[in-house]
Amino acid sequence: MANMAALFGEILSDVDTVVLFSPSGSYYERFSEAEDLDVLVVGTENAVGAETFVELPLEFEEIAQRVRFGLEGALEAGYIDDGDVLLCATSVFDGSIDTVSRVRADGSSQSGVYDLFSSSRAEPAVIKDVLELAVELGKKGQKGKPVGALFVVGDAGKVMNKSRPLSYNPFEKSHVHVGDPIVNVMLKEFSRLDGAFVISDSGKIVSAYRYLEPSAEGVDIPKGLGARHMAAGAITRDTNATAIVLSESDGLVRAFKNGELLLEIDPEDY
Amino acid sequence: MSVLGGLLWLSQQTTATANQPGADVPTWEALVNEPLVRAAVVLFLGIALGIVVGKLNRRLLTAAGVPEMVEGTPFESSARSLGSSTVDIVARLSAWFIYGIAALAAVHVAEIVRTGQFWLGVVRFVPDVFVAVLVLIVGFVVADKAELVVSERLRGIKLPEVNLLPRVVKYSVIYVAFLVALAQVGVHMLALLVLFAGYLFGLIFLGGLAFRDLLRSSAAGVYLLLNQPYGIGDQIEIDGHEGVVQEVDLFITQIESEGREYIVPNHRVFKTGVVRVRQ
Repeated sequence: MANMAALFGEILSDVDTVVLFSPSGSYYERFSEAEDLDVLVVGTENAVGAETFVELPLEFEEIAQRVRFGLEGALEAGYIDDGDVLLCATSVFDGSIDTVSRVRADGSSQSGVYDLFSSSRAEPAVIKDVLELAVELGKKGQKGKPVGALFVVGDAGKVMNKSRPLSYNPFEKSHVHVGDPIVNVMLKEFSRLDGAFVISDSGKIVSAYRYLEPSAEGVDIPKGLGARHMAAGAITRDTNATAIVLSESDGLVRAFKNGELLLEIDPEDY
Repeated sequence: MSVLGGLLWLSQQTTATANQPGADVPTWEALVNEPLVRAAVVLFLGIALGIVVGKLNRRLLTAAGVPEMVEGTPFESSARSLGSSTVDIVARLSAWFIYGIAALAAVHVAEIVRTGQFWLGVVRFVPDVFVAVLVLIVGFVVADKAELVVSERLRGIKLPEVNLLPRVVKYSVIYVAFLVALAQVGVHMLALLVLFAGYLFGLIFLGGLAFRDLLRSSAAGVYLLLNQPYGIGDQIEIDGHEGVVQEVDLFITQIESEGREYIVPNHRVFKTGVVRVRQ
């Protein structure tokens, strides 16, 4: 048996920080006990109670996306610096950590995806919940048929003033929040209604069935997207809200902020 | 049969002086009339009843979801380490209680000892002790559970001092359980009661004083949430602050205008009233 440490030495040498993706408790313990080693934990929740932690909004199936998002968040939070050499340990197949890859942090190629969560008006957990909802809805659809949906999250007061009701608001005088277990079912049913869902900063569902009336000038979204995406882009330019759109035609989930498309994910990947 | 024979022999020995010694051939009536035989029957019935009640109790507690409820509490884990469980302990306790009653009743029926004032006292005392022990067990389990629930709730708050709160809750519950248990067995506990009254007074009076604004706000918030005199998106003025409502919750209303966000406690809404601005 050849000496693996020597053969793979160049991957392991001169590492600034070790990045663990969703490690188990004992796994993290081993790393945190080692001296002069910076450990950063990335995951959907901080199950190991690590001090330096970056939260993922979704359990990214694709490794490159998972790593990119984690590192972008770490850069944003200042845990790592531009040009740092990182050793990312993650799991490709089911369960425990089985893959190590060497990545150089690149501050210039920030897509602003992490920004979507960290510096939005609405709470990050709310945006995460809505994103999960949209993905779920995209996966299952309404009775097997693809559906489209538009969620406007945050700055609800302003959004309400820049929109008008298409019909009676089914969420009038209700106090449901995204993330409540019942919401999944409710939104699935209401997604057959046209119009947007308006969600407040703290996650309360303010209204469904809203027709957004922002001024659409100067909104630059990729060609080929429909009225729903245009409305989403425009309302986020006019207000401080974040819009999350599930496309009816191609089934992708997209997130808009400040009139720009920030994130595009395929629900089938999660 | 040999047991019955032995009993018969024993009863003959003990009652030899009382009964006429001539009855050598035991008839069934005579057998039934023997106090010791009666005592044996009572004891036997008691043990059977105890076993049945124990089993039934265990079934009932399991069906009521007690094992899941006590899961993770220190009481349960210490019971586990002794090779038992909370349900097991309670079920055994009820069974042993009935065994004890049966034994006392058997002693009484057998007339072995003079069942005088002392035994009467003991018989009256046993149920009290049983209830007291039960209250203590329930108290400990509930206290542990309350501690778990509270600390679970406070987990998101990264403040070291907050760890004190679950413990205070736990010991409060244990204290109350102790008081109830001691009252059950009739121990004098005026001092403990006075202490408890002081504690309650502190909790209610000082707590009320400290949380006065929060309580007032939440009382107003209940009305605001139920009746929604204004909702998110409305233009309103509270206390001189005008803006668009961004959020209404139990304690506060957030209104925003031109980059300024006012966080107004709900009791101000009731004190000063609200102006709804309509164009």
